[in-house]
Amino acid sequence: MTLHLTRLTKSFGGQIALRGVDLSVGYGEVHALVGQNGSGKSTLIKVLSGYHQPDPGAGAELDGRPFQLGSAHAARAAGLRFVHQDLALVLQLSILDNMMLGRDYPVGLAGRIRGRVAAERVRGYLRQVGVETDVGLPVGSLSPAERSAVAIARALSDTGSGRMLLVLDEPTAALPSDDVRRLLGTIGRLREDGHGVLLVSHHLGEVLDIADRITVLRDGRVVASVPRGEVDQRRLAGLIVGDSATAGDAAPAHGAGQDGRHQGPQLRIRGLRGGRLTALDLDVRAGEIVGVAGITGSGRESLASLITGGMPHTGQVEVAGTSVRPGQPYRVQRAGAAGVPGERARLGMFPNLGVRQNMTVSQLDRHLRFGRIDRARERGEVSDWIERLGIVTQGPDAPIQSLSGGNQQKVLVARALRMRPKVLVLDDPTQGIDVGARAQIHEVIERCAADGIAILLISTDSDELARLADRIVILAGGRCSRILERGPAVTAKLIDVSQLEANPEPALAGLAQGAEGEK
Amino acid sequence: MNAMTVTPVEQARPVARYRHFRLPGLRRFSALYLWAVFLILFGWLQFHLFLTVSTFQIVFSQSAVTAVLALAFLVPLTADTYDLSIGEMMSLTIVVINWLTLNTRLPIGVIAVIVVVGCAMIGAVSGFIVVKLRVNSLIATLGMSEVLSSFQLYISQNHQVAGSFSSLFVDVGNGKVFGIPYLDLYMIVIALVIWFVLEQTPVGRRMFAVGGNREAARLAGISANRIIWGSLIGSAAIASLAGVMYTAQVGAYTSDIGQGYLFPALAAVFFGASQLSQRPNVWGTLIAYFALAFGIQGLTLQFGAGAFWVSPLFQGVAVVGAVAIASSRGALGGGGDSRAIRRLLRSRTAEPAPQPPLQS
Repeated sequence: MTLHLTRLTKSFGGQIALRGVDLSVGYGEVHALVGQNGSGKSTLIKVLSGYHQPDPGAGAELDGRPFQLGSAHAARAAGLRFVHQDLALVLQLSILDNMMLGRDYPVGLAGRIRGRVAAERVRGYLRQVGVETDVGLPVGSLSPAERSAVAIARALSDTGSGRMLLVLDEPTAALPSDDVRRLLGTIGRLREDGHGVLLVSHHLGEVLDIADRITVLRDGRVVASVPRGEVDQRRLAGLIVGDSATAGDAAPAHGAGQDGRHQGPQLRIRGLRGGRLTALDLDVRAGEIVGVAGITGSGRESLASLITGGMPHTGQVEVAGTSVRPGQPYRVQRAGAAGVPGERARLGMFPNLGVRQNMTVSQLDRHLRFGRIDRARERGEVSDWIERLGIVTQGPDAPIQSLSGGNQQKVLVARALRMRPKVLVLDDPTQGIDVGARAQIHEVIERCAADGIAILLISTDSDELARLADRIVILAGGRCSRILERGPAVTAKLIDVSQLEANPEPALAGLAQGAEGEK
Repeated sequence: MNAMTVTPVEQARPVARYRHFRLPGLRRFSALYLWAVFLILFGWLQFHLFLTVSTFQIVFSQSAVTAVLALAFLVPLTADTYDLSIGEMMSLTIVVINWLTLNTRLPIGVIAVIVVVGCAMIGAVSGFIVVKLRVNSLIATLGMSEVLSSFQLYISQNHQVAGSFSSLFVDVGNGKVFGIPYLDLYMIVIALVIWFVLEQTPVGRRMFAVGGNREAARLAGISANRIIWGSLIGSAAIASLAGVMYTAQVGAYTSDIGQGYLFPALAAVFFGASQLSQRPNVWGTLIAYFALAFGIQGLTLQFGAGAFWVSPLFQGVAVVGAVAIASSRGALGGGGDSRAIRRLLRSRTAEPAPQPPLQS
């Protein structure tokens, strides 16, 4: 054992985030850390990276040498490396410049940067993580998958020749499934090269795929630390959630909204073109959940922005019989469509406002009294939603950033639902959130469908689509390539496979062997 | 084992309870403390001069105009939009009112309304440039500021313009009730209206939303463009009101008014943004402004009337200090990924780079 944490406790005021956690990670090992939001994973990582001070009594050693927890410098000096969820990339700068950020460039005469030498060096690391592109490209032009890879390559470049312990904080949260596989390949390679990896993840499938050892945190305690072979997904989910619920693994009885299907579609899309989409026809009737899947580059990633108005497009979008024009989100909302945007932090949240204001921002007229917002009533409504969706927060006025990712997502879901929409457009609603919150959001989606809302569920999570959707549209090359009707044959695996088969040209290099079935 | 892990809860609680009995937070109320420090310090240094009714009257009557100008700057700032043209907007108002009283027979009330409406229209032009031409607000309003100063030079021919005002209008600007200058009452009324709009109505909520995350605001169904446009119209109108107040108090136009007033206003808003709710807010702005004004008054008394260099020095230091406080609190800009990048830079530069082996 090389990284060794003992009796790690961390409390914030009266709240205890970690209770006597012991953890060991060895070189040549991938150690996965799983748990719900609020279970203490993030706190553990933050203590490791020196962001938080642990309570007294905690011990840490690496290679037998104790080091001080709560100091970023000590953690680094000891040999720990981190790739956080926010990758710390400057989007405007090139891959090369990002890799060299804070480092000295190789320089020639008069301090001129020797670009070719630097590029060659950087390419070596990029190759290790499977990125083969022009290092002069701005990072902003890369896919999320490639961005993560660049961040990992940068951590690699910091290790010099020695072995490192890399902490990956939810590296796959933002990745579509095909890229996840590539990243897992990269992690496997790190293990072969003798590096140790502490992997924080929500995706149990990938954890079971790659990890040698799995540690489960619940309420700040280690409830299990087991070698991979000893658990399966169901057992693992049970450990994570506790005895309360096994994440509703069974397919739900979902005969919702049968009555609404005879009416015309609530959402009607004809010849939609914009972003990566070239032509899409789509209908969603009241009470129906229509899933949309497709690998990165298929047009899936732009669909939500096209419908809920953020992005210019041509073609026709009708919400409840009203034709809406592009680029005017408020018109779309007035017509009766609400959306939960995909990138929570960038497109959804107001960091300067509290939970209450974040939730009610789309429709402020409801509690208006003599031109003024009646805060007491507003607070009352927000408290109701907090209870209904099980949002974990200190109260309706807590800062939004004090909530965990899953709970922030629930606030955005509440923002959409309180407008009583006829059409709900969800863009990857459970991306990067824990099993418990995911199950709760799934439940909410089903309830909405039962209430007669037409739901468009755009997702990279095939399991989610298989579980919820009545119909799944597989996108490829900017158009619909296949439609899967709900049935026992439609499984997550089938959805995965159809996405790959349907795609005429792999969006990313290195994917080809995964898409053998093409043509 | 269980009992041991539970104990920290009990230990931690008293700390949380103890916090309730502390003084108002030093940071959120630092302007109030600073104000108190000035009162005590200069009250001690200038025992006979500083803590007198006349000091308070001087500060409060001199400050109302600038405080209103600060509120003008505050309005678009809530939507993360800068309006640097407010100083010149105010002095344009002053020169035009003076000129109109000399060259027309319109009653002063009508003139004031015309000028305020006119300035609001100029604000709409700034809004057009920012929203439709997509020029950064800092640049757009800086340019607008120069254009407005050229208008003033054209009208005034670079001379003093002293209009003729009715005694009623002069009274409006210089009267007092119970020793409180009328001007401060106008300031309070304007502040109340702005506070109400910003903190109590949907419009204000939307302005903060746009200021916090413009793209998310748009997707949440807020017309961010309309909010920004409207906030620039609002700032122009309020700056113009400050100009009307100045004219009522002082009267004549001189060419050096505008920029001299802009800076203290900005200082107050940025300082105020670190106070109370820790985002741009009305009462924080006013408290910050008066804290600084008393400091300047004290320094002026201390160094004598000849020390005209005191107030710019003090204000320069104050605005940088205030923004430093606000930035370190994260009240202004620089959230999200930039924090992560800073962390990375810190960690990477803290140690010498390992010589990267050239691997293939």
